[in-house]
Amino acid sequence: MKARILSVLKKRPHGPVMTLSKLLLTTYILLAVAAPVIAPQNPYDPLQIYGWEASSPPGTTGSGGYLYLLGTDGLGRDIASTILYGLRISLVVSIISSAAAALIGLTAGVSAAWFGKWVDVAIMRLVDLQLSLPTILIALIAIVTLGPGVDRIILALIIAQWATYARIARSVALSEANKPYMDAARLMRLPTSRIIFRHLLPNSIAPALTLIPIEVGHAVALEATLSFLGLGVPIDKPSLGSAVANGFQYLLTGQYWISLFPGLALFGLIASINFVGEDVRRSLDPRSKSL
Amino acid sequence: MTEQAVTAPLLRVQNLSLRYSSQDGPTPILSDVGLELGRGEILGIIGESGAGKSTLGNAVLGLLSPEFEQTSGTIEFDGKTIGTMTEGERVALRGRRISAIFQDHTASLDPLMSVGAQVEETCLAVDATLSKRAARARAIDLLARVGIAEPERRFRNYPHQFSGGQRQRIVIAIALAGAPDIIVADEPTSALDATVQKQILKLLRTLVDETGVSILLVTHDMGVISEITDRVVVMRKGQVVEADRTETILEAPANDYTRKLIAAVPKLHIAPATTNAAQGARQRGPSARGDGNSPALLVAQGISKQFGSQGFVWSFGRSKPGMGLRDVDIRLPRGSITGIVGESGSGKTTFGRILAGLDPASAGRIEIGDRVFDISKSGRRNGLLGRVQMIFQDPSVSLNPRMTVAQTLDESIRFGAKAGRATGPADAVAMMDRLGLARSLSTRYPHQLSGGQKQRVCIARALLARPEIIVADEPTSALDVSVQAEIVTLLKDSIAEQGMTMIFISHDLAIVQQMCSSVYIFKDGRVEDFGRSEFIFGGSDNPYTRTLINARPHRFTC
Amino acid sequence: MGMISVVTGRFLQAFLLLIAMSLIGFIGIHSVGNPVFNIVNIETATPEDIRRATVALGLDQPIWRQYLVFLDNVVSGNFGTSYIYHLPAFELVIAKLPATLELASVAMLIAAPFGTGLGLIAGRRRGTLLDRTVLRASVSALSIPSFWLAMMLILVGAILTGWFPSGGRGSTASFLGQDWSFLTANGLWHLVLPASALAIPNIALIARLSRSGTIEVENLDHTRFCRAKGLSPRRILLRHTLPNISVPIVTIIGLQFGGMLAFAVVVESIFSWPGVGKLLIDSIQLLDRPVVMATLTFIAVAFVALNALVDLFHAVLDPRVRLSSQR
Repeated sequence: MKARILSVLKKRPHGPVMTLSKLLLTTYILLAVAAPVIAPQNPYDPLQIYGWEASSPPGTTGSGGYLYLLGTDGLGRDIASTILYGLRISLVVSIISSAAAALIGLTAGVSAAWFGKWVDVAIMRLVDLQLSLPTILIALIAIVTLGPGVDRIILALIIAQWATYARIARSVALSEANKPYMDAARLMRLPTSRIIFRHLLPNSIAPALTLIPIEVGHAVALEATLSFLGLGVPIDKPSLGSAVANGFQYLLTGQYWISLFPGLALFGLIASINFVGEDVRRSLDPRSKSL
Repeated sequence: MTEQAVTAPLLRVQNLSLRYSSQDGPTPILSDVGLELGRGEILGIIGESGAGKSTLGNAVLGLLSPEFEQTSGTIEFDGKTIGTMTEGERVALRGRRISAIFQDHTASLDPLMSVGAQVEETCLAVDATLSKRAARARAIDLLARVGIAEPERRFRNYPHQFSGGQRQRIVIAIALAGAPDIIVADEPTSALDATVQKQILKLLRTLVDETGVSILLVTHDMGVISEITDRVVVMRKGQVVEADRTETILEAPANDYTRKLIAAVPKLHIAPATTNAAQGARQRGPSARGDGNSPALLVAQGISKQFGSQGFVWSFGRSKPGMGLRDVDIRLPRGSITGIVGESGSGKTTFGRILAGLDPASAGRIEIGDRVFDISKSGRRNGLLGRVQMIFQDPSVSLNPRMTVAQTLDESIRFGAKAGRATGPADAVAMMDRLGLARSLSTRYPHQLSGGQKQRVCIARALLARPEIIVADEPTSALDVSVQAEIVTLLKDSIAEQGMTMIFISHDLAIVQQMCSSVYIFKDGRVEDFGRSEFIFGGSDNPYTRTLINARPHRFTC
Repeated sequence: MGMISVVTGRFLQAFLLLIAMSLIGFIGIHSVGNPVFNIVNIETATPEDIRRATVALGLDQPIWRQYLVFLDNVVSGNFGTSYIYHLPAFELVIAKLPATLELASVAMLIAAPFGTGLGLIAGRRRGTLLDRTVLRASVSALSIPSFWLAMMLILVGAILTGWFPSGGRGSTASFLGQDWSFLTANGLWHLVLPASALAIPNIALIARLSRSGTIEVENLDHTRFCRAKGLSPRRILLRHTLPNISVPIVTIIGLQFGGMLAFAVVVESIFSWPGVGKLLIDSIQLLDRPVVMATLTFIAVAFVALNALVDLFHAVLDPRVRLSSQR
């Protein structure tokens, strides 16, 4: 599996859009990792922020002696630095929540398929319930109930996303469980743990795993939306979404850069994740190859 | 027939070569293929998988996907070259001059449109002068002609409301709507039961004789070829290996491959060869309830199974389709091979799975040796699971795709046979040698094996678990004919060597006769007829048994 | 499965869904602080005040009884009175409904035909430059954060060019006892930007899904058989491909309409569009809990109802569901 993913990432011939997406995504990750080193300012440290330089247009040189490459926001924070730090929050939140959601969803889906009966009914009714509502609504309900905070938003995103994995994992596991090789395993009287871990799981998780990149993209967008609505990360530690939100009131007075640049960064991030994710999914799923 | 020699053939394919371009580069599919089809003639194209026969059919219809590229040759229809036609000209040709019948009758019809409307729209498409009313009358007439009862009433029914055989009849009606010169029939009966297949072939022959249409019949089944074709083209790996009159091909094949293909078709013997056998044919043999004399390894009595919804609230939309079993009795003498024969839906697979302990039964008892098993429970709880091994129909899904051959066999030895680790690898290697699997294959994954190799691994797996009983559920029907024969022989010999007892489930009477000492005929979930092999094939006067035997192509019955 | 069991099954499922949601809502309300402090002043209240308030709110009752009371209130549309507007919460939601409904409808009227059309064309010309462009454009469009898209529409459409108003409903006209923007020119003018903001991601989504639907249907044997039997490409498209694709497309459109009701939350608050979504966000920020509950319940119920409608429509469209087997 791992080797296959690697070979897919390396070998597959692709056009300029894919090359660009992979390049962009790598850059984003490097920037996020290196943010404290390369950002001229720590936007979370009030001592480094000069309030009187609020809403400076791009290209202004500030009192800190460095250039406000993309301008400053309404509180005087350097937009470029805010983007770099915001990127960290956005990526960490969405990667952690997607990984956890995948783990929980896979376990739930495969358990539902294997144990059947009431376990299946209980899990799948909950999944149906969730998937019949828009994800944004679930995330909204969850965050309203949980309250604000980075840990809460991760929890809310897990709650909003696990069901997608569970549904896929269950349907794949169910179709695998009905294949003759599973019957053969049963006829050997293999221990249940061996049937699950040697036979069922390895053949069921691949399709669900290919969802992860796309779901990370969703998570970034969801987190940004919640933060934009003022329900996500705290205002003093802006993610990309709240950085855009901060600029909303200035938009009408013409200070477009406060929301334009963080938004562009966000768009580029989601788009590159989506393009790469689509590619991974398509090349690992033989059925979608023809589509 | 003499006329054809003078007049030009209706369809002529010359030096046709095609290749398929994919990411890995072009693959040749057809090379230098030539054939001729005359008026009122049925030309069979036979070959195993990968022979390129379906591609040839699609090329004649002009329905090849753009990945195919013609590298040489011509297809001429009625003196005009199909290759140089515009798509508009081809549309004008299809349906009116050349039409088609496909294998999958379920997929051939639009599920959202009533069958009448589908026939009617074809009538309108091929004849623009027709009024709506005339088209409808024509459609009803066509449906009646292909043997749909009450066509006026069934006109408004949807495809899913018909049986498989009826759907294929409707497909034929549509193919006939434009009074075409040629029908390309791609495996038209392969998805149907033998008795239905017989009727459909008869219908095709009648239509050819009455209307003078020509049929290009693509098939893998020598039986179909022998039943209705006038001439045959034998194909292998994209090339024509032999072409001649059907009689000649069947009786005096010139080519080795053709000979092998014909020899591989199992033959059904219905005339008792010796007086001894004639004696046997008059005796049914011991009944399933048992006369108590001959020792039985397994006795199954009153096995019933009902399928239905298991409660409303949670299972709506999930009720399992399937056939039940009603009061089935079976008796397996130790060391024998017993056949179960039936058409689709007869419950033969359901019965096999209950015997193996995979599925529970609603009623009945199973006795192996002295032990009685509670078969109302499934899985581990019935105690039966593990005493019986199975060989499944489709080897491509019977092996864990993520385990090597060695791992699969090792699991069977360690868990199935509960043998110590020490002798495991040696046993596995010995078994591979015995089954004709090269030792180098042991590190391969299933997708790196051919169908025949995969099925051998499945057989090895079942044998290595050292069960008393093996249930083989149609173990050869997913394989090419030439491989089928090898697997059947291998299975029969190794069961005898290991002293095991086997249930052989199949729809193919000839293979069952070749393998089994006694036979049970299943119909609609019951045992319709049973007895020793000689009795069933020689002396039984059960009408259903007779129907099944008569549905066999006569050429391969002796 | 016949039509009747589909209908019963569907309603049963919707009913279970609503029960489950009411439970979640009930738990949600109880987990967010003690409602007693909403009616007594936490600084000055004596224990006696708190006790009386607890009894008045029914919080001294056993929990299952409280749930039944809550359920009864929900069923009768009684979510309590808004702390801010001092109006019954449910009435407030209903009053805001026409604005949201008209916004979502206009957006869907734009998105459905554009999306389906693009998807059909791309699907039929699979692998061509056009197809790849549509596919890439749709992935890109789906990657734009909805709130940022709305803001950029304001930036370009209102601030830089001044062509459209940046927010509000504009003038409305009365119809069926409600106020509607789309009946006046000025109102329509105000609709352009918010409706585009809602429509653009949906065009992308519908285009993608109808593209893969088209490809799937065109690869089916019966489409090939239709070609073999001599039907014109036009007739195959109109009479066979389209009806077969319409089943999944109707499903998507139905579900996306529900999704729009939810996404209106974002778009409405940016364009100051006085609809249900803006009400929800305002109420969350003002901690107006009865209104939050009423709004969320309303959106969820609307969504469940839409789901059920889509399934019924599906059953009507597909004879395999409509007519039980007569073999």
